[in-house]
Amino acid sequence: MDKQHFFEGTPDPRNASLAQWLQELLAQPPQPPRPERTSIVETSGALKEEYHPRFYTQLPDFAAALLANDPDVMVRYAPLLYHLLGCRACHSAYLEIYDALWAARASGDTSPFPDIGQHKLAATPSRMLVYLCQLLISQARAVLVQSRHEHTDNDELARSLLRQAMQMSAHIMQGTQRQRALRDLVEVAVLAQGASAGQQDAQAQSYSAQVVDAAGSRRGKVLRRADMLERPAEDVFLELQSGALKGRIVQRGEMLELQLDGLNASWRGHHVLVRVPLGSLLEPVRWLGGNPWAIRSQSPVDEHGSLKTPIGYTDLHLSDPEDYNLLEAMFKKLDLRPAE
Amino acid sequence: MPFTARDLRYHLEENYASLCIYLQQRAQRYLGQLAYDAFEVDQVVGHVIEQLTRLGLLGAGDKTPLTELDRLSPAQFYAFLNRSARNKAIDRLRKHRVPTNTLAELERQGEAEDENNPLDTVVESLWGNIPFPTPEETALAVASHEHLRNLLKRCIESLRAAPRQLQAVLRELEEMGAQDLLHVIEQELGVTEEPLEHASQHKDHAHKKLRHCLQQSSTNLAVMLALRLSEYEPISNGEAIIEIQVLARNNLSEKEVRMGLKHLDTEGLLSWHGEDTVRLSPAQRKRLARYYEEGE
Repeated sequence: MDKQHFFEGTPDPRNASLAQWLQELLAQPPQPPRPERTSIVETSGALKEEYHPRFYTQLPDFAAALLANDPDVMVRYAPLLYHLLGCRACHSAYLEIYDALWAARASGDTSPFPDIGQHKLAATPSRMLVYLCQLLISQARAVLVQSRHEHTDNDELARSLLRQAMQMSAHIMQGTQRQRALRDLVEVAVLAQGASAGQQDAQAQSYSAQVVDAAGSRRGKVLRRADMLERPAEDVFLELQSGALKGRIVQRGEMLELQLDGLNASWRGHHVLVRVPLGSLLEPVRWLGGNPWAIRSQSPVDEHGSLKTPIGYTDLHLSDPEDYNLLEAMFKKLDLRPAE
Repeated sequence: MPFTARDLRYHLEENYASLCIYLQQRAQRYLGQLAYDAFEVDQVVGHVIEQLTRLGLLGAGDKTPLTELDRLSPAQFYAFLNRSARNKAIDRLRKHRVPTNTLAELERQGEAEDENNPLDTVVESLWGNIPFPTPEETALAVASHEHLRNLLKRCIESLRAAPRQLQAVLRELEEMGAQDLLHVIEQELGVTEEPLEHASQHKDHAHKKLRHCLQQSSTNLAVMLALRLSEYEPISNGEAIIEIQVLARNNLSEKEVRMGLKHLDTEGLLSWHGEDTVRLSPAQRKRLARYYEEGE
């Protein structure tokens, strides 16, 4: 390959000062270097500032146009070129992608396929699953930030990435790892669902599902995964917590029932509205009333401050470990407030 | 065949395990004496997975547009992954200051084992003869390219609504000796030199606007379309009538044409409100030609 490519034209040294000015004009703020020996699961969210989705995603097509000697490449990708001269992170990604594409094209169709067989997620180290979930969530965040900045709508893509993260996390059997994988899920999901989703009602009570830890225990009670399969479905439940208050989601056949105790005295005798902010991300639950953000309780809070109400129907089974994990992710946040 | 790019896009759950195994094998192969350091293997595997996610491939389904990666044959896609893992492995080896001769040895082994390995001189430069090899060379190429200079000119001229900011930038052009560009802009806008207070503040505001303008697709599309529109000859009464479909050629989609036209309409260079044709008066054609041309 020649050093000079014809689409570049002839760089004129007389423009050196203008070029330098452009570089200073378009320079992205430098990022602090990552500490060496930091594991991948601790750095997956660290690219928030230096990742520019609009430009990064153009890199394969840009590199392909260069490799094809497309004469229009400078014109067509002008905004990207202006970006690359000021963004070292994207420029470095460009070099990598160009080189890998070059190698891919040079290999033609003659390369042998790798002999790695088919593998199941159960055999994948949990840290790689945690890493993927974190990446998908941080990708969703980057897409949303860009959309807000450019006044475009990419909410569906962000929601799809979050959905994918929840589904992948269901295969992580260690509770602490699962918690780590979905650390930023609620925050990004609220962003994805617009400003109204993030509004906090002063009267609302927020619960979150308690994660079963690595040994399968939940605050002293041991719930071994193998045991879960042998126990009647109604004996397996998701524990919810809001400060000192406890609650649970139990399953009766296809029905998911919310059980809460110790509710505010002023709520007694009143119906409540249940909101499951992540409920609209996954389809497997058919929410009572159709809207997971406003599920009206079937009965009022009783005189002891307790409530038992169905909230939806599902084909998932709490007794199945992966289904359990998926429902646990969905109930990472559950809000309650008195109905009008 | 274990998995394809399409599988990773549409069926990630079923194929992620195989992707990890494949990348792990590649990483161990290229990491040489670091092959048994799990941390280093993770760095390589994680890097490629991150890249595929950031490129909008992993698990994106139909929600992101297809790219060149989706158009590679399965064998080419493996070659892409292999090369990506290898480049990251070399990067890790360099960080550990693996002796140069060992690195070169590793490369030679790789070349013998892999077919059609085009890596030239890894020790000297991993990136060889890639166009735009550094941000500095990219900047010089951009500053010397007619279309990209026109884009810069348009963006500077769009500062005319804020005369002090425009003046601050023109002063910078003068200071750096970009007389030709300065001369054209001054002629077109009829700018006169006036005392400028708080120049640094005006410059900062101007820079922010320029950064936005230069990296906007709509600005670039407008400049591209201005050139295409100015090429059409009038048909009757001095008016030129151009169909949008005709403008959408040479890798420009109809959506992009419409985006560019909207931008030109906003700038008052033509009058277009979503119709399937564009009508240009002689005066508008003249303004569009001037919009594109850098001048002599």
